[in-house]
Amino acid sequence: MTGEDPGPLIRLYGLTGGRARPQGESFDLVAIVVTVGDLPQPSDLLPEHRAVLSLCRRPTPVADVAAHLRLPINITRVILGDLRRDGLISIERPRPVAQTIDERIYREVLDGLRSL
Amino acid sequence: MGYAVSEPGTTRAPSALAIKILIAGGFGVGKTTMVGTISEIRPLHTEELLSDRGIGVDDTSGVESKTTTTVALDFGRITIRDGLWLYLFGTPGQDRFWFMWDELALGALGAVVLADTRRLQDCFPAVDYFEQRGIPFVVGVNCFDGARRYEPGKVRRALGLAEHIPIVMCDVRRRASVRDVLTTLVTYAVKGA
Ligand SMILES: Nc1nc2c(ncn2[C@@H]2O[C@H](COP(=O)(O)OP(=O)(O)O)[C@@H](O)[C@H]2O)c(=O)[nH]1
Ligand SMILES: [Mg+2]
Repeated sequence: MTGEDPGPLIRLYGLTGGRARPQGESFDLVAIVVTVGDLPQPSDLLPEHRAVLSLCRRPTPVADVAAHLRLPINITRVILGDLRRDGLISIERPRPVAQTIDERIYREVLDGLRSL
Repeated sequence: MGYAVSEPGTTRAPSALAIKILIAGGFGVGKTTMVGTISEIRPLHTEELLSDRGIGVDDTSGVESKTTTTVALDFGRITIRDGLWLYLFGTPGQDRFWFMWDELALGALGAVVLADTRRLQDCFPAVDYFEQRGIPFVVGVNCFDGARRYEPGKVRRALGLAEHIPIVMCDVRRRASVRDVLTTLVTYAVKGA
């Protein structure tokens, strides 16, 4: 999907039905996406949907999903909204950032950066 | 794999955390370079389709419309450990993409505003933006070759920055330097100092 020819836009349109916004509650660019375990995959899934379900068996941020799929973030979000609506994935709800970083995580981040 | 998996629709927080940091500043100040210097994934653009007019299907003007419907978003990742990441997003430079900033800024830990001493005024909009929204930021003065060296105090006065906002001299081509800017930001955002 490099945008070199008119094909990709048609393909993107097919993936989203032309929608620019995802279904349901909004979610962040780095919200964590997790595939819901144990559900049999519907047999009629699009390849992109399958790819998401397989990737997100490990918790994966939205932006990373987009990078893996090589799709624009907006398109990826529509896809993720659909998969969430169908109960196939869960997406972390927005949390105030201050609450997410405790002393332990802060230390881990600093140590991680320093060892780069 | 040992990860808690929530039921559909539930709000249980997954045992993973992605921390978002923005890199802002005027055109050509070194945002893309900075993200590329420190990120473990590269090349690291993601093309963002501007969404308000759908995804381009209404456009009939061909190639030209395509260039106006996408914007490259710098995107970088630093893995701290399995399940803990820092994500860097370079903010789009042009004014017409301001609406994307709101989206990027939401939930961000903080921002680095890059400044070039040869055209300090270019970073005013970014400084204003983060000040108005109360988003913690540090100013990284990217020391281009041949640029006059400025005292941080001079930069502070020129930008009208409050005393508590950190100013870091940096060279965004150097890893250690980018690392210092990021540790300063993380500490400032978390500890307020
Ligand atoms: N000499 C020098 N050149 C730099 C430095 N940082 C960036 N550049 C160059 O300046 C140009 C613009 O940088 P870029 O990262 O694309 O800026 P952006 O528009 O903010 O993303 C590129 O050609 C870089 O190689 C620096 O610290 N020193
Ligand atoms: Mg750039």
